Amino acid sequence: MNPNAYNPFEIAQEQFDHIASVLELNHAARDLLRTPIREYHFSIPVRMDDGSTNIYRAFRIQHNDARGPCKGGMRFHPLGTVDTMRALAMWNTWRCAVVDLPLGGSMGGAVCDLHNLSLGEQERLCRGWVRQIARNVGPEWDIPSPELMTSPQHMLWMLDEYETIHGAKSPGFITGKPEDIGGSSGRKESTGYGLMIAGREALKELDIKPGNTKASFQGFGNTAQHAVILYKRMGGVVTCISSWNQADQTSYAFCKKPGIDPDELLAITNPFGEINKVKAIELGYECLPGEAWVEQDVDILVPTMLENEITPEKVEKVSRRVSIIIEGADGAINPAAEGLLTQRGVKVIPDILANAGAVTSSYFEQVQSNMNYYWKQDEVLGKLDVHLTSIYIDISDFARNRKISLRDAVYLIAVDRVARACQERGWV
Amino acid sequence: MTEIAKPLDNLIHQLRERAKELNCLYEVQELLSAPNIPIDEICEGTILALPPGWQYPDVCGAQIALLGGKTYQTPIFAETPWTQSADIVAQEQIMGKVSVCYTEERPLADEGPFLKEERKLIDTIAEQFGFYLLHQQLRQVFQEQMQEEERKSEWEVILDLLKRTDPGLLTRITSKMVNYLFWNKVKEAERLIRLVNPVLHENHDTLGENRPYQQGPETGILSISDQVFTLASQHLSSSAIVENIQRWIKEDRSAFLVDVLANPGSSLAEISAAIERFHLLSPQGIELTPPRERWFRTSLIRRVLSDQPWFIGVAKDYIGIDDFGGFMRRVVFPAGSHGKLGGKSSGLFLAELILRESPQRQEYLQGIKTPKTWYLTSDSIFYFIGYNNLEDIIVQKYKDLAQVRQEYPFLINLFKNSTQPPEIIKGLSLALDDFGDVPLIVRSSSLLEDRAGAAFAGKYKSLFIANRGSKEERLEALMDAIAEVFASMFGPDPIEYRYENGLIDNHEEMGIMIQEVVGTQVGHYYLPAYAGVAFSNNDFRWSSRIRREDGLVRIVPGLGTRAVDRLSDDYPALVAPGNPNLRVNISLDEIVRYSPNKVDLINLDARSFETLEIRDLLKAHGQEYPLVNQLVSILHPDRVQVPGTRGVDFEHQECIVTFEGLISRTPFLKQVEAILKTLQEALGYPVDIEFAHDGANFYLLQCRAQSYGEDSAAAEIPSDIPNDEVIFTAKRYITNGLVSDITHIVYVDPILYNQLATQQDMIAVGQVVGRLNKILPRRQFILMGPGRWGSRGDIKLGVSITYSEINNTAMLIEIARKQRDYTPDPSFGTHFFQDLVEASIRYLPLYPDDPSIVFDEAFLTTTKSILLDILPDFAHLSEVIRVIDVPAVTGGRVLQVLMNADRELALARLTRPSQVLELEARKDRGRIYREATNLHWQWRLQAAENIGASIDPERFGVASFYVFGSANNATAGPESDIDLLIHVRGDKSQQEALLTWLEGWNNCLSEMNYQRTGYKVSGLLDVHLITDEDIRNRTSFATKIGAVSDAARPIAIGTAKKKNGN
Repeated sequence: MNPNAYNPFEIAQEQFDHIASVLELNHAARDLLRTPIREYHFSIPVRMDDGSTNIYRAFRIQHNDARGPCKGGMRFHPLGTVDTMRALAMWNTWRCAVVDLPLGGSMGGAVCDLHNLSLGEQERLCRGWVRQIARNVGPEWDIPSPELMTSPQHMLWMLDEYETIHGAKSPGFITGKPEDIGGSSGRKESTGYGLMIAGREALKELDIKPGNTKASFQGFGNTAQHAVILYKRMGGVVTCISSWNQADQTSYAFCKKPGIDPDELLAITNPFGEINKVKAIELGYECLPGEAWVEQDVDILVPTMLENEITPEKVEKVSRRVSIIIEGADGAINPAAEGLLTQRGVKVIPDILANAGAVTSSYFEQVQSNMNYYWKQDEVLGKLDVHLTSIYIDISDFARNRKISLRDAVYLIAVDRVARACQERGWV
Repeated sequence: MTEIAKPLDNLIHQLRERAKELNCLYEVQELLSAPNIPIDEICEGTILALPPGWQYPDVCGAQIALLGGKTYQTPIFAETPWTQSADIVAQEQIMGKVSVCYTEERPLADEGPFLKEERKLIDTIAEQFGFYLLHQQLRQVFQEQMQEEERKSEWEVILDLLKRTDPGLLTRITSKMVNYLFWNKVKEAERLIRLVNPVLHENHDTLGENRPYQQGPETGILSISDQVFTLASQHLSSSAIVENIQRWIKEDRSAFLVDVLANPGSSLAEISAAIERFHLLSPQGIELTPPRERWFRTSLIRRVLSDQPWFIGVAKDYIGIDDFGGFMRRVVFPAGSHGKLGGKSSGLFLAELILRESPQRQEYLQGIKTPKTWYLTSDSIFYFIGYNNLEDIIVQKYKDLAQVRQEYPFLINLFKNSTQPPEIIKGLSLALDDFGDVPLIVRSSSLLEDRAGAAFAGKYKSLFIANRGSKEERLEALMDAIAEVFASMFGPDPIEYRYENGLIDNHEEMGIMIQEVVGTQVGHYYLPAYAGVAFSNNDFRWSSRIRREDGLVRIVPGLGTRAVDRLSDDYPALVAPGNPNLRVNISLDEIVRYSPNKVDLINLDARSFETLEIRDLLKAHGQEYPLVNQLVSILHPDRVQVPGTRGVDFEHQECIVTFEGLISRTPFLKQVEAILKTLQEALGYPVDIEFAHDGANFYLLQCRAQSYGEDSAAAEIPSDIPNDEVIFTAKRYITNGLVSDITHIVYVDPILYNQLATQQDMIAVGQVVGRLNKILPRRQFILMGPGRWGSRGDIKLGVSITYSEINNTAMLIEIARKQRDYTPDPSFGTHFFQDLVEASIRYLPLYPDDPSIVFDEAFLTTTKSILLDILPDFAHLSEVIRVIDVPAVTGGRVLQVLMNADRELALARLTRPSQVLELEARKDRGRIYREATNLHWQWRLQAAENIGASIDPERFGVASFYVFGSANNATAGPESDIDLLIHVRGDKSQQEALLTWLEGWNNCLSEMNYQRTGYKVSGLLDVHLITDEDIRNRTSFATKIGAVSDAARPIAIGTAKKKNGN
């Protein structure tokens, strides 16, 4: 292997080292936090349908649990590497800390291609994974959740195996469960609502009433759909939504100057968030090339679809009226573009903050599961609003005091919170 | 007193006389009816009984004289003048005489001295005697016969009977017996056979000579019949002879069928009638010897179904004579027809019987149905043509293809405006009565279609009709559809196909299948719950664990049309029946993305075939949709769920079609697998079938040899390709196909890609591929790169691209290099697998570290890359991504990838463009018909030269004129444009005038291209204007002039004008 080759863990470490310097963390804290606190590497024998046995390599990486039990995804991927998992585990620590959840960060999974496994084999793989690590995970220790190529079904198999081994029901062991078997209501709304709760707080800071604003969205998947619904309820007007068109292999922007009715649009949107072009035009939408979403004369832009969507070239096309960009898709704003936007005074709500709704609702699911008492949707969304509002204010205040961007503030506050927990526990 | 006493006395006298007469009669009857009394005694008794019955017994004598026998008489009897007689008659023959006489004269009465009562008496006695004699005679004959039969054996009786009643049959049986004896090695039979069989008269050699055989003197078989059977009785037991004779007699009853079938001149009507007669006779017992039965089967199959030897070979084991009876009633044919049912009909008929007759897998094969079908025989098309005087059409296939294409729309119109002959209309009307008003599909079933190796898939039309309205309207619609299907025999596509497959000179006829559309009514729509196609061989494997023989099912909701065709905007569900647990789509994204979202159906109100969004249909009619819980899954934000017992709330729940219930909770796949396996075993080749399910029953709709589209047939890989022409070979996970005329290779170096230092660089590689996808000629480049193209979530795991960034490639090649101790599994492009399938983009994994394969790494890594010429911004990636212009570095050759799944071998080689190769091959085979239309590049180049020649350089300010791209490098296809590069020096108005002038050419060339190829390409000319400045700075397309790759070819300008001017 070429030592210069791209290694996500090294990149994560570099990022951390930079923040640690800014925070002036002591040596021990740096040493502790730049590597995972525990790593489990193990092999899972899986009996295949044809009677043979395959061995799958598997991992669980717990990066830090100073603030609470670790929480992190499970991925099944044929080319998964331990360094990727280490990086993701570290990321999860920061992610939970930013949102001020009493949780640490972890990551795990197995090296396999699910396309080569039958459902029965997948079940045996999931159960095998739990059997190998059942003593080192659990609702009070490390909580898995679905990630790349893992589904609620996989989570249920894993939960079932865990409960069997421990001889007790333990729904808080895992999140991402189906709503009727220990899942939380309000989950499908939470990410989209989270975007607009952050947006609302940002508007408040700018002293703009949501009712006087217009917004343009990229994408109309689950996140964007609920963001649009909440925004409209706040009084805002959505004038443009872009979406992918599979048949034409391109995206289109659908515009309606007086404002888009999300219900009307949802009726002609497929489960994949693709708006039916023909029907939209029939309904009076103007159909423009996909990139047009960014050029709209609006106050808020919400990219929810693609990474690296807003590039320096595109910044040129962004209307002068735009005052807030909510980064719904991870990494949607190119770092160079963000610099230009900040110069123009555009407030960028970074992905990790904008998407705080997702991780918060996952935490709520775990809390409810531990109590074995489940809140109604209103209660979930109410608690979500309270929590997200408070973390936005925290981070925004922090950024203002330090005169730094929200994005920088996010990482500083996260590392700071974790480092302080380690100190207070007397670890460093 | 005496006066009174007299009549009284008279009366008493008369009564006494009657009493005497009666006594006499009784006595005689008593004698006659007494058992076992010899005739002498009877006669003696009778003559004694007679005289007392007469008026004057004392002078009365009696006599019985039997003809040719004794005479019995009383002593006083004599021939006197006073004699009375009556003849004894039996069977209208006089057998004797009864007489009575008076020896002395007595007073006259009614008949001489005799009373009329006495006459009656003697007549009655004579009559009784006659009866008696007849009875005696019969009894004697009977007894004699009994005795004789005891002596003669049963077969002799039969022969006797035949001799008297049916000498013809006796002749045939004798002939059979003599042959039978001969075959059973009875020596003497040879002598007899020489008598009856002229062929054996002479020395065998004489038959071999080239002169006509001279028939010897006529010999009657009948004459030697006795000899034959005597001989038989010496060698066979009596019962064996009887058994044979009885069998031959029964067999002889079916002779009429032999006569009809053996006569090539007998029409279908005669055959049909003969089958009917056979059918009626069979309950009375027509026994056939196995060879004769087999002969019947094969003859019937040959005459009615197909004369292809391979078909007969298989079909004769499954199709019985009785099977013809049922459907012959549903065959519509012209009088005197000699047609057949055609390939599609025969294939389905045979498949149905194979499934019915196969003892294995009956658990899954039971209850499989085929839709009710009526047939039009293959020659009805010519009858139709003849009836409407359209004979000119028949030569259509020999016309220029452009003309065929041009005339086709008119031809359809012409056919539709012609009428069916009256008897066909009558037949169709009967069919409609039989069908009722269910929707129908009118399908072609042509003779050439059933030839193995020429599937004609989709070449001829199939039309749906709603079959609603009045009988007249329905008949009209049916005839209209039939006319259109008939017309498709003369369409450009099938004619082209026949040329390409060397079938143009073969005789083609088109039968029609009128089939009930399997389905149920849902709202005002009519559709099956689901339908699809299934293949014995899986040529689109998505996992290394799926074997080719695991098969493939493409399944859609509604009519199967969407499963048969490749779709551009939708995806059928794919599943391998041999390995149903390995799904194509695993993640929720994949499951949702690749779920079918449209449905084909028949709108009964509009009487039309329509395509609807499945979502809309389910919202409106979800509850009525048959088997809906097996078809759909409820969509949750993070998963899909098979409906439970409560079903789906279509109003409020979102659902997608996954067929999950059908696949995992019903024996559907086992059933399909059983069908495929059974048919493949019986037919001896892999099959593809069409099926549909109406909610109650599973229907088989079609069965034929697995067809390979033009892009998916196994490529022949020559063994003599020089090593230096081979770029790579592969031996694992090979699918069938031929990818030709590749002009560019995009090669992402797997080792260097893995060494990229930043994520940005990795993303950039994906971006470069996406850009190249837009720039390079569509389907003429291939992508080669490290494993797992399009992996999501983690850039490290493969080049990050979406389907839209590779959708123009011809092929996606995954290079799986060994990593430490293991070689990764190929991804099969899983994340957009179904997109690749529908777009026919080929996928191939390469294992360069396998020592038994070729991988010319040097060619890929050291030949000149043109990436920087195309995308100068990505200089830093020029080592990682290489774009090889194949013709430029190989002296005009192109890359061709040959893939053969049967041999599990793929090979990429450098060769000349396929059109050049093809032309040569055609010339070799003497098939050069398509020269003019097929060489797309040649006439394009010619067109460019003509345009150049007619340009007025001064008027338009043109300095020079070039052609580049596919027209120049001989790779143009029917859809390719003509890339023109025009160096202009004129002003704006001159340029505008030039573009206007070219626009005229453009329209004209587009039309010409359409006429030649059937491809509608708007704007065939792709004109690029460049200026002096461009040339100086080598910007824009100016780089093409003198370029290393695909250099523009200069064309002389204004020559036409000069010529004209001079």
